[in-house]
Amino acid sequence: MPILEITDVSAGYGAGPDILRGLSLEVEEAKSYCIIGPNGAGKSTLLKVIAGLLHPRSGDVVFRGESLAHRRPDQVLATGVCFVPQDQALFPEMSVRENLIMGAYLVKDRALIKERLARVYEMFPILAERAGQDAGKMSGGQQQMLAMGRALMIDPILLMLDEPTLGLAPQIAQQIFSQVEQLKSMGLTVVIIEQNAQRGLELADWGVVLDLGIVRFEGPSEGILEDPRVRELYLGKAAGSREKK
Amino acid sequence: MTNVIQVAILGLLLGGVYALMAAGLTLAFGVMRIVNLAHAAFIIASAYISFFAFEQLGIDPLLSVVFVMPIMFFFGVAVYQVLFRRIEGSAKFGEMTVLLTFGIAIMVEGLLGFVFTGIYRKAQPGYANESFIVDGLFLPEGDILFIPKGQFYASLLSIVLLVGLWAFLRYSQTGYAIRATTQNRDAAEIVGVNVRRVSAISFGLSTALAGASGALMSYLFPFFPFRHWQWVAVLLALVVLGGMGSMKGAVIGALVLGVASSFVVDQIGPTWGPMTFYLALFLILLVRPQGLFGKEVPA
Amino acid sequence: MIEDRAALGPDDSAPEPTEDEVQRPPGPARYRWYVLAAVVVALLALPLFRPVISSYNYVLTLGALILMWVAMSSSWNILGGYAGYISLGHSVFMGVGGYVAGVLLYYHGISPFLTALLGGLAAVALGFLAGFITLRTRGPAFIISTIALLFMFLLMTDNFEYLGGAAGLPLPPLPVSQEWLRVPFYYAMLFIAIGAVLTSYRVAHSKFGMGLRAISEDETKAEVAGVPTRLYKISAFAMSAFWVGVAGAIYGYSIAFIRPTVFFTIAISAQMVLMAIIGGKGTVAGPVVGAVLIYAINEMSLVVFGATEFNIVIQGTMLVAVLLFFPLGVVGTLRKMNRLPAFLNWD
Repeated sequence: MPILEITDVSAGYGAGPDILRGLSLEVEEAKSYCIIGPNGAGKSTLLKVIAGLLHPRSGDVVFRGESLAHRRPDQVLATGVCFVPQDQALFPEMSVRENLIMGAYLVKDRALIKERLARVYEMFPILAERAGQDAGKMSGGQQQMLAMGRALMIDPILLMLDEPTLGLAPQIAQQIFSQVEQLKSMGLTVVIIEQNAQRGLELADWGVVLDLGIVRFEGPSEGILEDPRVRELYLGKAAGSREKK
Repeated sequence: MTNVIQVAILGLLLGGVYALMAAGLTLAFGVMRIVNLAHAAFIIASAYISFFAFEQLGIDPLLSVVFVMPIMFFFGVAVYQVLFRRIEGSAKFGEMTVLLTFGIAIMVEGLLGFVFTGIYRKAQPGYANESFIVDGLFLPEGDILFIPKGQFYASLLSIVLLVGLWAFLRYSQTGYAIRATTQNRDAAEIVGVNVRRVSAISFGLSTALAGASGALMSYLFPFFPFRHWQWVAVLLALVVLGGMGSMKGAVIGALVLGVASSFVVDQIGPTWGPMTFYLALFLILLVRPQGLFGKEVPA
Repeated sequence: MIEDRAALGPDDSAPEPTEDEVQRPPGPARYRWYVLAAVVVALLALPLFRPVISSYNYVLTLGALILMWVAMSSSWNILGGYAGYISLGHSVFMGVGGYVAGVLLYYHGISPFLTALLGGLAAVALGFLAGFITLRTRGPAFIISTIALLFMFLLMTDNFEYLGGAAGLPLPPLPVSQEWLRVPFYYAMLFIAIGAVLTSYRVAHSKFGMGLRAISEDETKAEVAGVPTRLYKISAFAMSAFWVGVAGAIYGYSIAFIRPTVFFTIAISAQMVLMAIIGGKGTVAGPVVGAVLIYAINEMSLVVFGATEFNIVIQGTMLVAVLLFFPLGVVGTLRKMNRLPAFLNWD
């Protein structure tokens, strides 16, 4: 039973053209997905639509039976869908601890917040170390961990990460990936966008290739990069020209 | 020496009032990126409320703050919902808010002028013309300091309100939401802050602060509808100087410039007081365009 | 196996037309120049119809004023409309021009008709200087600094005796009989208006103008694309000052005195801004339409409401209403709806 159903969604920014053009996708519970595709394909746009930051012009987004299409972001968050954007969206002048607590903004139970905070500190010891530091002063990798830790404060069911390793050194990226592995093992449904298709697909169960606003290909992450059509699309003419030799 | 202290004290007291005025303006910008050119017009409108409350009902201007602030709060929320909500997501939001508030300022000025005419008004509660007299202490023989009661009470109230604002922003749930929205609006949305509601409340707070400032102005300075332009220029210069969006910068800038302009007035002449602010503004733009405590603000 | 979904669904690869590609109304483009030429000729010939016009001086004064506003709002538009930098203190340039010419007349007897261009140049100089300092910031800080600039000049002219202080300087009237007194001013303003509109037109259709528009859309991208943003912005600021200064010089002479409160008020800036926006900022014809429209509305409301502050309320309300509902102004909105009469399409 899919936990998230995106049906024929079209969306765009302002008065601009449709970025998503009738996109449909199903997401199964407790599985992990990696979305890849060329720039401008609509990957970030898709996540924003699911998160309620952008309203679809047509089509529907149904999460656990509820339609999210025209809800406000805070309403979407309340259903258990959590989004970590490309720039992490942290509060630079608040401390690590304050940022984490803000992650639980919608949670009323103080004891619960404390409990979750402790759990996040356990998962990400570096955050515990720097609890009092201003978020704006941390390194890229630390900020990404803070962003993920913050997402966990709301105990999400579906976690969406937009390019979590963007701009990070390989060792740090590896750390992030292992954290995501951990999240997977906790039973979360994870959807990530990853520029590094290889890595992302290693991590995920299922690969989704976006192009020009629709899902062009999807399938088990293992084989998807092998498919010549996907290679041609995603890796571009380089792959094709190499073959010519 | 005594004279220097006297001038400095007057400057500080003045700065205290300016700080309150600038705080409201800064709040609106920090949270919603709204440059509210109508802020001073709101201050003057509130001054009229306090003035007539004093003249007709005998309510002390300082006390009138108690009801002027809530009135202006709801007024602010209403203005936000009716006017700013519409242009919320638009690309040229910054530019539009300036023009929009410019129009609102003109409307308010016109209405005030139409209803109350352009006569100079100034409430005259007892303390407006009295001073505390300080002698002895560390002062030389025979010298005394005058601390105008009106200014003193105004600064006191200003401090109370500013501290209250600070505490509210720092410790309350809504305060957190406001700070979060100021620092990163998108992030605030993502963690579940209802940024629309927060924006409306912030604007209401901003106009409530204008309300309190107006109550003080009603007896501190003679006012008439057209006057708001002079105030707006000074306040805006202050806000830019402090760093747009920085409350700390606005308050410090207000105090520093209050003292500076006090000296200018004492040494050169009363009409040159505002010039201090304008020159300071241009100086800061030359040296450090983002203001004292501001970040590089993208267009 | 993995299916290629694109092969199944409709392939909508044709991008939707953007606003720029909206079609212009069809029809011979030439004809609009003929209409314009006819208008200009009519304006030139107007004073010759003395016998037919009652209250001659009133009509000429009205005409001169409308032309002045056409010039000023068109000039403002270069910075405010094309580049998107809102100057709310623009009347400072009017004052600079007015004072330069007025002072030269008062102390040296030189006619403002000769020194008006000098007044314009003085305004340009100020534009460069002020622009250099204030255009280090973007958006709101810039706007605020233009207001501060205006108030600075108000303060200075109020306090310098040489400039007459708050009372200003009375100027000797033009040595022409009362009958024909308004004629030179009318022609001067007509010349100024044509100059300003032509300048605006030339800027709009130049590489400089394109750069300004790029700045208005997205300054960072423009910079990255190689547009010399700082140079362009300062130039636009300076250019937008010229005709305003010239107009100020002539205006001061036409009312026979110069005084701080005549020139250095927000009300004049507000009027310029309002006219440009209601007409359609960013278009060449917009400010012209706006100037005529606002002036007409002002005159009407004077008749209906008398000279009260209510007129200001109306202006403010108009600005707010236009911003909320017709942000593109008359010309802009008509163009978007494809209903713009060709003779107003000067872009």
